[in-house]
Amino acid sequence: MKSKYFNILAVIAVLGLIIGCFGMADRLMYGHLHAGYGSYVPWGLWVVFYLFFVGLTAGAFLITIMTYVFGVTRLKNVGTLSAFTVLVALMCELIFVSLDLGHFGRIYRFLITPNFSSLMTWFVIFTNLMLIIYLLECFFLIREKLVLWSTENRSGKAFYRLLALGKTEYTASDRESDNRIVRLLSIISLPAGLLFYGTNGAFFAILQNRPIWNSAMTPLLFILAALLSGGALITFLIAVFHSDDEITRILGRAVFFILVVFLLMEFIQFFVGYKTGMTSILTSLDLIVTGPYAWTFWLVHLLIGSLIPLILFITGINNPKAIAWACLLIVVTFVSVRFNFLIPDLAVYKLEGLEQTFSHPRLRTHYTPSVNEWLVSVWIVSLGVLVFISGIRWLPILSSEKGGVNHV
Amino acid sequence: MARILPGEDLLIRMQRDLKRSLAADMSSIKWSMIIDQAKCAGCHACTIGCVSENKLPPGVVYRPVIEEEVGTYPNVRRRFLPRPCMHCQNPPCTKVCPVQATYQNQQGVVVVDYTRCIGCRYCLVACPYSARTSDFGEWYTTDTPDAEGKMVGRAKASESYEAIPATEYGKQWPKRGHGSPVGNARKCHFCLHRVAVGMLPACVTTCVGRATFFGNRNDSQSLISELLGSPRVHRLKEELGTKPSVYYLQ
Repeated sequence: MKSKYFNILAVIAVLGLIIGCFGMADRLMYGHLHAGYGSYVPWGLWVVFYLFFVGLTAGAFLITIMTYVFGVTRLKNVGTLSAFTVLVALMCELIFVSLDLGHFGRIYRFLITPNFSSLMTWFVIFTNLMLIIYLLECFFLIREKLVLWSTENRSGKAFYRLLALGKTEYTASDRESDNRIVRLLSIISLPAGLLFYGTNGAFFAILQNRPIWNSAMTPLLFILAALLSGGALITFLIAVFHSDDEITRILGRAVFFILVVFLLMEFIQFFVGYKTGMTSILTSLDLIVTGPYAWTFWLVHLLIGSLIPLILFITGINNPKAIAWACLLIVVTFVSVRFNFLIPDLAVYKLEGLEQTFSHPRLRTHYTPSVNEWLVSVWIVSLGVLVFISGIRWLPILSSEKGGVNHV
Repeated sequence: MARILPGEDLLIRMQRDLKRSLAADMSSIKWSMIIDQAKCAGCHACTIGCVSENKLPPGVVYRPVIEEEVGTYPNVRRRFLPRPCMHCQNPPCTKVCPVQATYQNQQGVVVVDYTRCIGCRYCLVACPYSARTSDFGEWYTTDTPDAEGKMVGRAKASESYEAIPATEYGKQWPKRGHGSPVGNARKCHFCLHRVAVGMLPACVTTCVGRATFFGNRNDSQSLISELLGSPRVHRLKEELGTKPSVYYLQ
């Protein structure tokens, strides 16, 4: 990664960390006191970001599967980058979810008294499983370079030796063994990952009192949304960091196709929803298209996040720059898709008249993220960016030349 | 004639029913509540009684009374629907709790173990009756000025009421601060701490219209058992299959 870009991104990330510190301090001292959500909209911006990061892992997950399970050699030189992206996205996701808990200190309860009939328990199991798998996979993918760098005369030698767990020699049999381990981990990650994304969708779909979520289509939409945002992210990263035009073009076509299918599915969801005529569904859908945050749907998601990328894809499907821009727009605006998935279904009173009976800001269905929620989000996203660019800069994540060097 | 002459207060009868149930086999008890909408005057005494009994902080409510206006002027009527936790026999909230912090006790009451709850609020999202609220750690006295001269200031005002913990679930909770139940899901628990010592839930005793009935539905001699035979009985959102233990008389 070029020093100039690294420095710019690092300065932005550090600034974000400093600004976000105020929110983090408030969160740690006062809990959820200054959060904007309440009892009728119990989840807010942090859960939106958790969903966002779940999606971002999906594209990179697919690349690692294609590379190390199905042996698509063309993608091999972006395998490490993909695995590292999954790892950082999972880290951000876990921080968001942890901070959303009322009693973060009691997460050990998942081990002591787990309820296996709850999909949240399975979500925790699969998230941690993915985290362990990708942590190990990243390690074995970069181990050869770590050992090499720890023996070369370069700055940070001790650090690389520490990361290489003191190993000083890397033989051909080590390479073979690491190859096998990475392949094995990737094979395990395939069912684990599918269950992970499926569980995330089913987590919402099983709630019978939630009109839009309670549908067999939700897990499908979830997987598709994850593929779209994650695919767009990894395509953008490959276009920027690898400058591999051929892979960018292949992935760009895939993202274009997924975007079209996603928009079609979204249209079907609205069409079927409106045609049912059920008040609860209509109210939730109306909130998306005409509610106070309708601009996030029309302007951010449909115009900036869908229409402009579609035009960019159609007019420049062979142009890596156009593809990179289209993917960047999809990724950045995808927070609005997650917001419009989560909030409108919560923001409907389940019993008519409940809104007038006991008045308190926590007992309303109108939700506006508080400054504190934004600050905490800025802190976590900045941390994610800093970890990511630091990894790119100081760890052997990227192949050293165009076309790539096979790390494994 | 029985309607005109003063008879035994329904509370006395329910209290007697309660003591009889408590004296018998505890495992045979299934606590239930019946709310007579025709008798409810919409006074909200039950809401306030509950808030006071359980020392509920701002934004936490166990038993709001929903008001509904029916018809068009001049033929307008008002209907009231007190909404405690339904204590469903097939509760959607307990199934989603990842750490078994909320469950049905032996008497069919859906309870929350404050020491286990991690505050994920999944149960709030799963409840079809919006009967659960989260304690965000708010105080009524946040904006009260500090003491000046002989004035009772914020600290003293809070110390004399809201800082004192309620005895929910029959336990002595620590003084209100950052610990549980702050950060937890909270809900109506049929005032189990009162019931355990032979007292009726606060909402039942404070109901001026005697519209709320409480007792063991498995006790055939109880008033609640008698009322359950009424053709006026219905339950909220029956179609969801949650089988609430709270019944309404229309």
